[in-house]
Amino acid sequence: MLLPFLAFALFLQAPQPSQRTIAIDEAFAAEAHLKVGDRVAISAQPDASAPAESVIVGAIVRRGADPSQVARGDFVVRMHLDQLQKISGYGDRVDRFAIATRPSADIDLTLQRINHVAFGFRAYRSRDIAVETSRTFQVVSRFHRAIGVITIVASSLFLLCIMILKVEERRPYIAALRLLGISRSSVVRSIIIEAAVVAVLGSVLGVALGWVVSFFVNWHYQALYRTPLYFSIITPPIISLAVSLSLVLGIGAGVLASMRLVRTPPLALFGR
Amino acid sequence: MLAVLGVAVATAMLLDMVMLATGMRESFRELLLSQGFDIRLAPKGTLPFDTDATIPGVSAITGVLRSNPDIREISPVLGGSIHIPVGARDVSAAVLGVDPTVQGDYEFLSGRDITTPDAIVANDYLLKKLRASFGDTLNVSAGYDPQTRTYSGQRKLVLTGKARFIYGATEQSAAAVRRETLEALGGGARRDRASLFMVRVRKGASPDSVRNWIATQIPSVSAISVATAIAEVDQRLSYFRQLAFILGAVSLFVGFLLVTTLVTVSVNERAGEIAVMRAIGVSRAHVVQQIVIEGVAISVVGAIIGLALGLVTARYLNSILSAFPGLPMAIDFFLFQPRAAWSALGLLVGSGIFAGIYPAWRAASLPIAESLRREAIA
Repeated sequence: MLLPFLAFALFLQAPQPSQRTIAIDEAFAAEAHLKVGDRVAISAQPDASAPAESVIVGAIVRRGADPSQVARGDFVVRMHLDQLQKISGYGDRVDRFAIATRPSADIDLTLQRINHVAFGFRAYRSRDIAVETSRTFQVVSRFHRAIGVITIVASSLFLLCIMILKVEERRPYIAALRLLGISRSSVVRSIIIEAAVVAVLGSVLGVALGWVVSFFVNWHYQALYRTPLYFSIITPPIISLAVSLSLVLGIGAGVLASMRLVRTPPLALFGR
Repeated sequence: MLAVLGVAVATAMLLDMVMLATGMRESFRELLLSQGFDIRLAPKGTLPFDTDATIPGVSAITGVLRSNPDIREISPVLGGSIHIPVGARDVSAAVLGVDPTVQGDYEFLSGRDITTPDAIVANDYLLKKLRASFGDTLNVSAGYDPQTRTYSGQRKLVLTGKARFIYGATEQSAAAVRRETLEALGGGARRDRASLFMVRVRKGASPDSVRNWIATQIPSVSAISVATAIAEVDQRLSYFRQLAFILGAVSLFVGFLLVTTLVTVSVNERAGEIAVMRAIGVSRAHVVQQIVIEGVAISVVGAIIGLALGLVTARYLNSILSAFPGLPMAIDFFLFQPRAAWSALGLLVGSGIFAGIYPAWRAASLPIAESLRREAIA
């Protein structure tokens, strides 16, 4: 990679003055107190003995959303290719070519053709490269999924306990219903319906809370890592997973709690 | 039983989060100090091996460093990459140029160390890729042009040993040669240059004072102490610490809520029994004590199961995060420390006590006569 080679330093007397410009990212401009029109010396090595070239800051740009760079805190400078080749001693070389195809082009066929004639390099789909460079986020994603499973287990147990305790609290009421002749299935049904309603209401509240938390998470980490990337997104599949899971757990808890109670004789529920 | 399981899962999560919040930093600190080097010197404005920049004038810098009596050992390291042709394949690897007598970058495992200029040691991963054994001669080059399939700066080196690179990532091919060998491989451009200096401070001397002295004496380098490096890693991985704090707090709250609910319902069910105890002269303090103990007991039983569960899940979560690209394999995100377990247990017991206070207060405030009458009617 060429860019990591670069080191920058400010000089009062610019060596080898030129009118060529570079573009720097917002974070670098803020850190080095640079503005458009400032003259800086660029060098491939951070020591003063290395050859340097004087250039003008021509633009301050906002960085794109790049997951592979998110935690690195690097600064990005864009410059003319020949200039970078010269100061890095890279010669007539590049790290990669980016190729835009026509909308009607068959990308697989284009890749095949390039790779057929390529000598010493290889063509890849941008999508495949993006997958490779976002490995950091893939790891984070796997970690989040694992944490999510543990959280679901904990909240399931919590929900089960609350439901069972809530139903247990109503032992005399259920005993009275049974003594009045209300069938077991009606009692079970009423408890399950109640549990389902509680689960749905809870999950609606949870989604709203999640949306608020997601907003703050994005706001905080976008500012922290100076990136436009979204760290938390609430999508319809996530909402449906959360609501369905909550519903299943709620109903499961209702079934467990009600079955336990209806199996007990009504008088025993009264403590007799 | 279900409630105890709930507390156990909450404890497991809490332990994992305490381990995550403290373990990452501790593991990194242990890694940095594992070879006894207290200070690193990197090219100005960079972190060790964060860029390909190098420090010129190794001999002059070494001379300056030697003038400080608090500095015990100096290990200049030059980093780079090498290419080795194996049949029709090109095998590339990261290479370190070191002085084997003072190096702190690898642990020598078997064979012979790089005692001669033509010796090279490699890690297991590279050895497998090369399919080479000790004594084999390798054509090692500093440069490779894939278009013309030509190698530059080629030299014959003898594979003499196997080493484990302390800061190496998983599945990273790595090798080490003497620094002068790597300088020669790179041609004149890398002569008398180093990517990093590792400095060992005399026992009893303050690494921070030495670091400040170096910063004054050699302004062309960044002197990084262990504390500075940890602060940098902390900043880069702050996400995990914040996540650990939030999830730890949520786990504690869930555990607290679970115990409170359980003990409250238990008190409600035993209202008559508590009223009888109060009627026969049992003091309020005793009732409060009994109920708080009940809350603590649930927390302790859940916590003990949770600690075991937490260790298992921490191991699993650690295996996921170890796959971070470029992360040294010696870094653990979830590092077990007895202090972490005691912290989790202490927090749980503390929350158990608080969880028992509300139901205990309710039990102690029960109107005795009314509760007894209600019990009699029931």
